[in-house]
Amino acid sequence: MGKSDNTELTKKARELLRKQVDRKLAAALETCVRCGICAESCHYYVADPRPEHVPAYRAEKLRQIYRGLFDPIGRIAPGWVGAVPVSDQMLDSLVETSFASCTMCRRCTVNCPMGVDNALVVRAIRSLLTATGRAPEMLEQLAEAAIMREEGLEYIKDLFLEQIAELENELREKVGDLKARIPVEEQGAEILYVALSGAHTILPASVLFYATGTSWSLSLFEAANYGVFLGDTPRAKRITQRIVDEATRLGVKEVVVSECGHAYTTLRWEAPNWFGKPFPFRVRSLVEVMAEWIEKGKLKLDPTRNRLAVTYHDSCNLARNSGLIEEPRTILNACVTDFREMTPNKQHNYCCGGGAGLVALPEFSEQRLNAGKPKVKQIKATGASIVAASCDNCRHQLGELNEHYEMGVEVIGLAELVVNALVLDKGRVPGKEPVVAATV
Amino acid sequence: MSTVETSAAIAAIVGAVVAVVGCAWHVRWMFSLPFKGDVATAKGSASKGVMYAYTLGMAPWEKESTRRHMVGYLRGVLFHVGIFAALVVFVASPWATVIWPSVRLLLAAVACLGGIAGLLGLAARFGEHNLRAISTKDDYFAVALVSLFVLTSALAVLSPSAVPVFYVVSAVTLVYLPFGKVRHCVYFFFSRFAFGVFFGHRGVIEGARSQ
Amino acid sequence: MSNADVVLDLKGLLCPIPVVKVSQAIKSLPVGGVIEATATDPGVLADIPAWTRTTGHELISIERQEKLINFKVRKVK
Ligand code: SF4
Ligand code: SF4
Repeated sequence: MGKSDNTELTKKARELLRKQVDRKLAAALETCVRCGICAESCHYYVADPRPEHVPAYRAEKLRQIYRGLFDPIGRIAPGWVGAVPVSDQMLDSLVETSFASCTMCRRCTVNCPMGVDNALVVRAIRSLLTATGRAPEMLEQLAEAAIMREEGLEYIKDLFLEQIAELENELREKVGDLKARIPVEEQGAEILYVALSGAHTILPASVLFYATGTSWSLSLFEAANYGVFLGDTPRAKRITQRIVDEATRLGVKEVVVSECGHAYTTLRWEAPNWFGKPFPFRVRSLVEVMAEWIEKGKLKLDPTRNRLAVTYHDSCNLARNSGLIEEPRTILNACVTDFREMTPNKQHNYCCGGGAGLVALPEFSEQRLNAGKPKVKQIKATGASIVAASCDNCRHQLGELNEHYEMGVEVIGLAELVVNALVLDKGRVPGKEPVVAATV
Repeated sequence: MSTVETSAAIAAIVGAVVAVVGCAWHVRWMFSLPFKGDVATAKGSASKGVMYAYTLGMAPWEKESTRRHMVGYLRGVLFHVGIFAALVVFVASPWATVIWPSVRLLLAAVACLGGIAGLLGLAARFGEHNLRAISTKDDYFAVALVSLFVLTSALAVLSPSAVPVFYVVSAVTLVYLPFGKVRHCVYFFFSRFAFGVFFGHRGVIEGARSQ
Repeated sequence: MSNADVVLDLKGLLCPIPVVKVSQAIKSLPVGGVIEATATDPGVLADIPAWTRTTGHELISIERQEKLINFKVRKVK
């Protein structure tokens, strides 16, 4: 590669980084003392203890660029502070570092004596790679498809409604009520429920909305936001805008996000900051809503209908990054008879390895399955035969780990467990067939 | 005062000025960067999170990592306590002769232990392959230099004849401070603050959770 | 008999995995090649059309038969 190319690339990298470096990112870049204490907090390192899997090692990759561009010593004596010039080769090597070997779970952050936010650094790397055309193609395609779902709504809506009509029939069968509905574009509904594209996130929730007599409307859009995984805030904002517009149009009081870690974190915590103000509606996860229903006695549950031992995998996005820690336990204690915590759990839980878009990247499946080893060990130690997870990416990953490591467990969402334990009015129970059989 | 002593003292003062100005520059730079308050509705308390981050959150038993690396962590704590002792010696050195001998002995002992802890940390950095993989030359140099600073402070507080040497080492250390990794002493506060705000606001830190 | 170049069984796979599998499979086809797939997750009814529109491939057909969703995609570029 010619020298001029590098000059151009360096200029671009400088501009892109300058735009990103705020006080939080600067703190994350400047504070690490390379003590290495964070090593074992990362599931990649636990699975395969190599220096490349030490969280600080990944973050150092961006620091090497940052020092070369912004640190006076890095410019005068790059070798002294480990500054590295920007080049195509250098950026190419970061694709694996940032997209395949970090799920941005922040387990290292809570374990770092300095509080260094390595996830923020990795997100900045992803952002740099996306802006220079290096992001994995699949994430790009999925982000674009989400935008297309709105731009091409005319064309897609009929197919979507056809899907919902089919699910509505299933709902009616399940609850034994021909009047049961899955409302779409319901003006004046109290809740806009944003599911993922997949029956398993729509049907169980519909049963519960029906059972509690909730006024709701199903969103035309899916909650997933691949723009976030790309570190591409403008695109992530664009994808979120669809939901914000729909909620505003319908005048809902609340947007409820289905069981999905990154979708919740995005809408609950990140997006209001992109828009610069709180939303005119409340944002909650279905997990919070279910816990509230249970606490208020709005759901009649018979835990003996879930007799098998159940363990719960805390999604990093929901627990460590959103504080949804007690809510899943409220749900589980009410709907299963044998709930077993895995160790460690709650905000200290290990990432399953499927986060940050990795389940959608087949080119990195080997790294992903390998990084899931600590989770497999945790699950096996509980002796549970059911693993509940309230994030779709986790469910995909746990399902694959289950197959790959022959764990012989069933992976299920919290809403499905609640529906399994549900007793409708007059003692009826929902139809026998499981709400959704497949997990992968 | 001999010429050597005077020059060493002047060097030390210059070093101190460079360190203070340098740190102030870093602080100013940080405050010039954007920092938006979180507009998402809180689930917990950011201020309680910050309190936790600076206090209990630093306790060795609070984190899996520090429980696991207790020896390494305590070595680091000892090193930093030694640095504080050395700074006390630096500031108090003009009046060293009037300081009670028992206080001088205590400072020397703490600095001595701190300096040894620093050197052990340096040895670990050379010895452990993980640490080697993530270390820069600056990392080795900074730990070596600061360890020397801490150890010479122990000498200086015990024997006035070592003061010029301590001043020269201090001068080099202080001048280097804003340029190398030692500047994490400034950024540490920003990082822990951001940590406390993030995990406090989101209700992840138990003591900061609402309800 | 199907006239497709690749036949994919996506039954039991939840979104977005069907899209991921189609996207992967289409890479190995020549321009004009056709993928025929069967899925069970009704999410593909919206996801596949959105994906073909984004990527510029041609959605020849997509239809539901009971619980199965069959679709055909032609590689355009
Ligand atoms: S990220 Fe934290 S724990 Fe890890 S090396 Fe840096 S300072 Fe140490
Ligand atoms: S954020 Fe998670 S995956 Fe990334 S380095 Fe830290 S512990 Fe490892």
